[in-house]
Amino acid sequence: MNEWENKQESKKKRVLVCDDEESIRLLIKETLGDSYDCVGASNGQEALKKFSQEPFDLVIMDIKMPGTHGLDAIEQIRETNKKIPIVICTAYRLMEDDFVVKTSDVAAFFPKPLDIKALKAKIFELIGN
Amino acid sequence: MTYSKKGLNIWEPGYAIALIYFISNFILYRISEKHFTKPIVSFFIFLFDIITISLAIYFTQGIENDFYLIYFLVIFVASVGQNIGGSIPIAIVASLIYGWMVYRSNPGVSLFESAFLIRIPFFCILALISSYWAESTRIELREKEDLERFNRELKKEVRRVVAKEIELREYIEKVISSVPSGVIAASKDGIITTLNPAAERALGLKKEDAVGNDIKNIHGINALWQKMEESMNSGASLLSEEVAIQNKNNENIPIGLSISPITGLKEKLLGCVAIFKDLSELKALKEKLNQAERLSYLGKMASWVAHEIRNPLAVIHGFAELLTNTKKEEKIVLYCSEIHKGTQRIDNIIDDILAFARDKKKQTQLKEINLRVLIEDIVKNFDVETKINSDEYPIIKGEPESIRRIFVNLITNSIEAMNEKGVLQINFSYGENWLTTEITDNGKGIQEEYLKKLFTPFFTTKPRGTGLGLAIVKKILEEQKGKIEIESEEGVGTTSRVYLPKEKEERNE
Repeated sequence: MNEWENKQESKKKRVLVCDDEESIRLLIKETLGDSYDCVGASNGQEALKKFSQEPFDLVIMDIKMPGTHGLDAIEQIRETNKKIPIVICTAYRLMEDDFVVKTSDVAAFFPKPLDIKALKAKIFELIGN
Repeated sequence: MTYSKKGLNIWEPGYAIALIYFISNFILYRISEKHFTKPIVSFFIFLFDIITISLAIYFTQGIENDFYLIYFLVIFVASVGQNIGGSIPIAIVASLIYGWMVYRSNPGVSLFESAFLIRIPFFCILALISSYWAESTRIELREKEDLERFNRELKKEVRRVVAKEIELREYIEKVISSVPSGVIAASKDGIITTLNPAAERALGLKKEDAVGNDIKNIHGINALWQKMEESMNSGASLLSEEVAIQNKNNENIPIGLSISPITGLKEKLLGCVAIFKDLSELKALKEKLNQAERLSYLGKMASWVAHEIRNPLAVIHGFAELLTNTKKEEKIVLYCSEIHKGTQRIDNIIDDILAFARDKKKQTQLKEINLRVLIEDIVKNFDVETKINSDEYPIIKGEPESIRRIFVNLITNSIEAMNEKGVLQINFSYGENWLTTEITDNGKGIQEEYLKKLFTPFFTTKPRGTGLGLAIVKKILEEQKGKIEIESEEGVGTTSRVYLPKEKEERNE
């Protein structure tokens, strides 16, 4: 994960990608390509730590993760930052409605397998390039 | 009484004596009877009688008179009324008075020459004989009375014991009737002796029809009798047995029962008693629960499969799409490798599902497996320091793939729990029935609250755990008739102990 943290590209919009599966983080990073500066976190705690230390423009969050659950992490992010767009990417389907209702301030919801073009488009729509 | 040619003259002494006698008897009649029981009182009465008779003899014709016979009567009565100590003094008194009268009646003649003297010894002889006779009769009477009293008391006691026995029997019957479980007792040849209301209901029998009849002739409860016979033949109780009986409508009813043989004196077998419970409801409930559990499992399994597969699917799908838009060779290699990892992961998931859902009835070929060789082969694939603290090369018989899976899962768990400094320790030991393999790590340990959930399917503490690993281990060990224990302390490490049935013939090798 560290190998694609590149703080020097500070002009790019910064996206925090939180997913316990490394391949998914890599996929999102590859999808967003050179347009965004992606920072990975493998669980909720790590994401919260990075979020408090560095500025981000958008958060992509998985739901089922070991340790801090994705929804708890979102709640905690919202305590300090009400504006930052949050996008959920999860393999859960049936709970989709629950998530939307519970976290009405979630900007978008992408079920896995991901439609990567749609994801990229949505992110562009939310924070631009 | 005096015979006089002049007729009756009441002023004669004879009449006076008779009068005194009547008056005295009248007075005695008025005296309470209890006073006569005193020997001294009755002695004086008899003495008075003797004196009266003597006076009568004296005032009539003297010793020639036949009144002396009345002495015998008085002596006899005294013997009957008193003991020998009472009658002899009376006889002596009579002898003395009569002797004196004999002496008086022939003043010139020596007493010993008198023809009347011979009467005197008879007084004493009579006293002796009649006393002896009276005494023996009295003893006989007393014995008879004692016997009668004893009989009366015995009868009373018997009545009391019988009443107590009936009361006890009724109490026992009430106790047996109140038991909510069915109670049936039978003699050793199968004649029903007891049937309580719960048994009547469960077996569809009536007590009046069943008790006294042969249990073997009652339809549907043959299985029950077989178990009762089994218990009687072995002479031991059967506990928590289960058999199926048929009710009137020929429906099978599962019953749970316990049977005990009944023995009498000197351990002689009298019959047996069975206590049973209708298990239909319990079984139905259990079945319902099992079904619910199965459905819940199925639901969990489906949701788990969907979730688990979508992640690698997302990876494959995403990288495949990226692959179509790139021409850079290094990207192509990276994306293909990720797609490959994704397919591998799906394959692993399918493996786990199949291992978990495998039908245990399917018999597989058992082979001899050397556990040390197997474990060495597994750990060689990991970059971890391993110590095998044993010189043993233990051999077991089992299904190689399954046994390998047990140790792969446990060793993987241990390695994942440890950091680079982790040391894996393996130990083998033989118990009475088991070969125990201990796998110990010095990893982060397991939280106490998770310990009891470890074997629950789909429970996992690992980021990418399927939650099936230990469930599969447990399942395989159940099939191999083994067992597993896991001990763990947070921050210290975890020990997994695998018990496999020992191959006895290989022990000495």
